[in-house]
Parts: sequence; structure tokens; C-alpha cells
Amino acid sequence: MSTATDSPLTAGTRAPLIPLASAMPWIIASVFLLALPVFFPSGSALTIMNQMAITIIFALAYNMLLGQGGMLSFGHAVYMGLGGFFCMHLLNRVEYNELYLPLPLLPIFGGLFGLFFAIIIGSFSTRRAGTVFAMISLGVGELIAACSIIIVAFFGGEEGVSGDRTMGPEVFGFDFASQQEVYYLTVIWLVISALAMFLFSRTPIGRITNAVRDNEERAEFLGYSQRNVRWISFCASGFFAGIAGALFAINFEILTEENLNLATSGSILLITFLGGVGFFIGPVIGAIVFTLLQTVLSLYTEIWQLYVGILFVLMVMFFPGGLTGLIAMHLVPWRLGKIGLLLKPYGQMLLPALAFVFSAAAVMEILFHARHAGTGEEEMSLYGMTFNSHSLTPMIIALAVAFASLMVIKRLAPSLKDAWDEANHMRAGERDEP
Amino acid sequence: MSPPAIELRALKKSFGLAEIIRGVDVAIPKGERHAIIGPNGAGKSTLFNLITGKYMPTGGQVLLHGKDVSGMKPFEINRMGLSRSFQITNIFPKMTVFENIRCGLLWTMGYRYSFWHLVNRQRDVSARADEILDQINLSARRDDIAGVLTYAEQRALEIGITIAGGADIIMLDEPTAGMSHSETDYIVDLIRTVTEGKTLVIVEHDMGVVFDLADRISVLVYGEMIATDTPANVRASAKVQEAYLGTALEEDA
Repeated sequence: MSTATDSPLTAGTRAPLIPLASAMPWIIASVFLLALPVFFPSGSALTIMNQMAITIIFALAYNMLLGQGGMLSFGHAVYMGLGGFFCMHLLNRVEYNELYLPLPLLPIFGGLFGLFFAIIIGSFSTRRAGTVFAMISLGVGELIAACSIIIVAFFGGEEGVSGDRTMGPEVFGFDFASQQEVYYLTVIWLVISALAMFLFSRTPIGRITNAVRDNEERAEFLGYSQRNVRWISFCASGFFAGIAGALFAINFEILTEENLNLATSGSILLITFLGGVGFFIGPVIGAIVFTLLQTVLSLYTEIWQLYVGILFVLMVMFFPGGLTGLIAMHLVPWRLGKIGLLLKPYGQMLLPALAFVFSAAAVMEILFHARHAGTGEEEMSLYGMTFNSHSLTPMIIALAVAFASLMVIKRLAPSLKDAWDEANHMRAGERDEP
Repeated sequence: MSPPAIELRALKKSFGLAEIIRGVDVAIPKGERHAIIGPNGAGKSTLFNLITGKYMPTGGQVLLHGKDVSGMKPFEINRMGLSRSFQITNIFPKMTVFENIRCGLLWTMGYRYSFWHLVNRQRDVSARADEILDQINLSARRDDIAGVLTYAEQRALEIGITIAGGADIIMLDEPTAGMSHSETDYIVDLIRTVTEGKTLVIVEHDMGVVFDLADRISVLVYGEMIATDTPANVRASAKVQEAYLGTALEEDA
């Protein structure tokens, strides 16, 4: 009875429920997430991490459409926003004792509300993929954003809807007044949602969603209605977006038109693409990087969105696989054992690249300051230096450094390319060499 | 007597003013290997697309096992037991060979739109997919991305996807197009084994393949069926000789 094959996990003809190797990344990620507040206990760090977790759920949900289903949506904020608004109203009901609902369960209702709208809107928007889907998503996004100003009872007009998460019943003695409690609530939902979305991609419908994305005609001739396949994925995506909305409501205790509008829909597209649509982990990386840029970079510069925009354009042009694609590109040299060949050229490139980034940013900062600072405020400080933004000297220096570093980059580029080709190329017998 | 597997009644299709199929009547009994031949532009592929639901007929009817399916969607027709391949290779190029076959299995094995099964854990599906890979001789390339297969392998894979669902009517649109002689022989053998006991409808330009494989042949010329008969009779028919076959056989020789 005590043989390995009789253990409850492997009993019968089935494989173990979840093989340890595939469960490992999830266990490590969960432990990491639960341990994070120990290292970053400050309120502002927790706020950033909460925001990150919410953005990750939303971006993963968005990638169910874009990456898995090939549906480019310009209005996905609608489902997150509606889920959030609905939860805000639920919280207010709870506050006035009209409803008994423990806070940790609220995200389910946000999800169901997002799902409800995804069922309705998806019923007509998923008939066709491509441009038709994109245009309908744009139209619906605009429509709901416009409604939010008109239907004041639900959307609260321009002030939005706010509430208090702490007024509900206590759960195991937690009232969720502290950021840390909210962090744990958010992170538990993050792990549950991410795991559910990951498993969804491994189900029959998940696989067929990929099939429809790649070749909808073939899928139709295998018995699958392309519209139904897209619709189901769309609904699942709406559900998880709604969960993200509920967590947003819990964290920020206010929802406004901004949560539904096209800018939010656009930024989730940007985040997902930045991270890499072709990988499950892509949106996670995109959300982390974007939130860091948004929260940290914005402390240092007012024009952080310009930099994010430039980064986005560069990624689309040169690395359409996103940041994850960029990392994945290095797997081949890694497997060939030639990753070391890249260290030297990367090291050589580092200094001129940093010099270029900082000097180019300096040019833009000086321009921005010269044009937008109040009259008489000609003094600006940058990188610890204080100078007059209206004088020509700093501008000339910045331009000169940018130009010089660009020249160095240009000269180093061929050797980097050679090293890259070499690192990706396996010649016969090469591995046997000492 | 059971109704024919496929029956076309006065089937018509026009694109704008151009009448491509001008009233086709034909009945293909169960278990028959039926070839459709005809010169380029005769409407063979259009006829295929009408039967499989890709196009809506302008007039007339398509019956599968005696049931009218005209105007139904491709997936509905597929669920009634008809599966097709395409003239231009139509696979899932980014998926592995194994996954391609699996996609062909999921619906008929009852997994449909399920989001409560994990595909990798469904042994029945995996076992069946491996069996089919074995049948089409692609087991060695099981985990390769379909897009990198050779042309002949992709054609074999396409046939594998087509038969995977266990449909009892198989329609193949020019399965040997663009193949060398040895590749053609290979694919014809493959078609013969995998369609054993099924109804096969095939559009083909290679007369060697047609006369080798078919129980009966239909000749389509300018949207009209000018003959439907056994290979010997079709070969002997003066009408067919005049309209098409004479030149085709000369070319083939």
C-alpha cells in the first residue's frame, strides 16, 4: 500500500494533479509576493505594489484577448471600470447595513458584473475579429465613457463614486483599514486570478482560441464556431477585468470616469504590448515595468509619459516580442552555452547607451523647462546640477554628449551584431572544443 | 435504402452576374470514392465550398445523409460528419504537429468549448492524436512547429487534421497539388488507408491519381456536370473526350 504509485496524488491511471515542476514557479511567486511587505513595509511602497498587482490582473485579462485570441480591443477599461463601479456601490450598501458581504469576497461580484457586460457586448462585437472587433470595442468604450457623465446615479458624474472599505464585517479580525491587509487581499486575488487565467489557456477552449487566432477558417471546418470561441474568451477576459476593477475599488475607494475612458484602455494595450503579447508572463512584466515608470519616473520628471511613449514606439519597431521577447531572445545563446560571448559587447555598450539616454533626456528636460516654467524661473536643476535653462551652454553640452555617445554606439554596433550572430550559431563540433 | 452521403439537387451559384455553378445534380452513395475533375475554372473548388458551407448556394440544395444543409455554417456541417481539406495548405502553422491534430479531435471527442478540462491531462485525446500521427507517418515530427514541416509533410498533416475528427465524409481539395511523383504516390496511399470505409470526395488534376483512386468520376465543365460514371465509362465517353479528357490525358501522358 505504501508504494509510490499508491500515493493519493498519483493514484489511478491519471497523472499527478499538478506536477511539481509546473507548480514550482507558482509556489515561488506566491511566497515572494507574501514576503514582499517584509522588505518594503512603507505605505507608499505598498500602494505601488497594490497598484502593480491590480494592473497585472488587468493586463493578463487583456492578453486573453490580444495575445491568446488575436482580438485588439481599444475599450477594455469598460469591464474593469464597470466591475469597479458596481463594487463601489456594493461597498456603500454594506456600509449602510443593507447587505452582508465580507470584503475579501467582493472581487467575485466585480468579476460577475464584468462578465455580465462582456456577455452582452461580446454577443455582437466578437462576430468578426480584426478591424471590425477593434472598431466596435472603440465605439463601446467611448459610449460607456460618455454614459458615465450622463447616468449620474450609477457613475456619480464628474466626482465619481467613493466609499469606505472598512465598514463591512470583520473577517478573522481584519477590518482592512491598513494598507498591508489590503495588500494581502489583493495579492491572494492576484495569484488566484493569474492561476485561473493560466489554466484557462490550457483548456480545450483556450487551445481552440489560439487556433481561431491563427486560422479561423480551419477552426470552423473542425466544428468550432469562431464567433462562439471568441465570445467565450471575451467573457472570461471581462470576468477577470471585473476582478481587477473590484480590487481597484477596494484599494482606492473611488472610481471616476477615468477608470472607463479610452486613455485607460489605451494604456492597458501599451502595458500588455510592452511586456510581450506572445508570452503568458509578458503582461506581468509589462505591468511591473509600467507601474514603476509611472510611479517612480513621475517623481523625477513631468514628461514621464513622453519617455514611456518613446519606449513603446522603440519596442514596437525593434522588439515586437516585448520585454519578455527580448529576454526570450537570449535563450538560444544560453542553451548553446554562449551567453558569455555577449557579456563583453553588452558591457562596452552600457556606458555609451546610458550616456545617450541621459543626455537625450537632458535635451528634452531643458527644452521643457525653458518653454513651460513660469516667467522669471530660469533656473533648473538636473542630475544634481543647477543651471539656467535659457542659456545655450547646457543645451550645447547635452547635445554634444548625445551626439558623441551616439557615434560610439554606432561604432560598437557591428561588433555587437557579430557577437550576437556568433552566440546564436552552433557549428558542428563546437561544443567539444576546450 | 439509406440516403446518399451527399446529394446535390439543381445546385446553383452566381457571383454577381457570373454564373459559376449552373445546376448540378449528383448523388454520392455512402462509402464511395468519388472524384470531381474538370478544366481550370470549371467551378470545382466553388462546388466544394458550396457543399462544405463556405459559400451560400444561389439556388438548389445540398443534402447530407438526406438532410438539407444548404445555407448552414461550416462548423454546423462539420458537426454532421463532413470534414474537408484545402487546396492551399490550411493548418495551424504556429502550433506543433501534435497540437494541430488535437485541434481536429477536441470537438468530436466531446470537449467542445470546455473550460473545465486541462487538455494535456486528457489521455484519450493524446492517445488518439498519437494514433493519427502514426497513421500519417508524422510521429517523428510530433513536437515540431507545423510551419517548419516540408510541403509534403504539411499536406499529410492537413489530411491528418481532416480525418482526425472521425468524420464519415472526407472531402479533399487537390491533395497532391504541387507534389513530386514519389510524394504523390505516398499521399495517395495515405488517402487510401485513412479513408477506408468512408465516403471520399476528391478534386484532383492528376489523372493518374483520379483513375487509380476513384470508384466513380464526375466531370464538371463550365459549371455543369457533363458526366458521372465509372472511370472506364468516363474514359470511353465521347462527350468527356471532347470537352476535357482528351486534352487532359494527352497532357498527362
